[in-house]
Amino acid sequence: MNLSYQLRLLIVLISIGVLAGGGLLLKRVLTPESFGVYGPYRADAIAEAALVPIRHGNNTSCFKCHSYETKVHKNGRHQTISCEFCHGTYADHIANEKKIGTLPVKKGKEITTLCLRCHNTEIKARSEEVIKTVAMPNHLTDQNVKLTHDCNQCHHVHAPLKYIIRAKQITGLMEARL
Amino acid sequence: MMNRRSFVKKVLNGTIAGSLYLVWPLGGDSLEIPEQIPGIRGKPYDILDQEFAFIVDITRCIGCGSCCVADKREYNVPDGNYRTWVERYVKGFSDEIYVDCPNGGLDGYQHPRKDIEEKTRDTFFVPKLCNMCREAPCVQVCPVGATFKSPDGFVLMDEKRCVGCAYCIQACPYSARFLHPVAKVAQKCTWCYHRVRKGLLPACVQVCPTSARKFGSMKDESSEIYEILKGPGVLTVLKKEMGTFPALYYKGARREVI
Repeated sequence: MNLSYQLRLLIVLISIGVLAGGGLLLKRVLTPESFGVYGPYRADAIAEAALVPIRHGNNTSCFKCHSYETKVHKNGRHQTISCEFCHGTYADHIANEKKIGTLPVKKGKEITTLCLRCHNTEIKARSEEVIKTVAMPNHLTDQNVKLTHDCNQCHHVHAPLKYIIRAKQITGLMEARL
Repeated sequence: MMNRRSFVKKVLNGTIAGSLYLVWPLGGDSLEIPEQIPGIRGKPYDILDQEFAFIVDITRCIGCGSCCVADKREYNVPDGNYRTWVERYVKGFSDEIYVDCPNGGLDGYQHPRKDIEEKTRDTFFVPKLCNMCREAPCVQVCPVGATFKSPDGFVLMDEKRCVGCAYCIQACPYSARFLHPVAKVAQKCTWCYHRVRKGLLPACVQVCPTSARKFGSMKDESSEIYEILKGPGVLTVLKKEMGTFPALYYKGARREVI
């Protein structure tokens, strides 16, 4: 086969064109969309990360409906505690403004366990400035109550000093607020 | 005149904002929560002009584990893996350091350690999470571009691209990453990017009863974060010598904390 110089040049050029074009096409097919807008990654992944469903509300979300708890919780020492920590997430309770499930309410010994997660003196890493801690069962004997008592028999779980203050006011140990 | 940079900026803000508007009516509940990070809602999010910081105040942490519980619930983190966890440090009089972290702090710390024979000199809790390194080793090693540093400073995961090679898990000096046992992709703490973009605080920050965890925008000069970072107090980062330049700062961290 004896091709002229021009024809051979043409064949070479066409092959280069086809290879380069194919390569570019392949690159285009294989590179994900939005890749490289900000750097060597898919910029759309940022938007996707921003669209993960939110599962935790905050206390304001709960206060919208639970008015009694709102009043007690907001005025008590436990006001910084998240409702969802003890009761579960907002997303398990409400979806599209409708109730979809009932959240658990802790009872009995569960409450004591929950209280001692924070208020146990035995864990020394708790600064007095941050939290008031008690030793168990010393606190029960000091207060002259049965050792079987749960915390919530004296302390309102949402406002731990609510009943204590009231009792002191009734017995005259503390001046009643007018 | 519109240059390349501002064009890209506009287009991307458009796509992100657009996709958010499409989805918000469905997840309408999120809008009922009052804005917690000022300056994000109700205006286009300029992704190239954001800076966030996270401060953990060790002196205020009581080891209740609220943050761990919230984190697990927010993402349905599989058992045995933790996006955030709380370690307990005990320092004896011989300067020996004892660290433990039963179940990542999920169950709280109900009992003191019984296996330490010497007297305790100092003890404290150290909450850990993603350090959001400005020079992130995990990003550097990813062979497929599945983990990246977003322009607003978050180290995020692209789970669609991740092939589960776990290089990033080995590269992270803070052990903040894990391989999801079912999906077989790497996962990590994102400082609740989805919440931040809607003006909400990360779940762990929101539930912390003693405000030991603080989060905020550095662009907002009235934020607590800005005040603390600009003030004279001593803030440290973990493993400074690694040159990762974390955006997570610790207040009150002893030098033994690693």
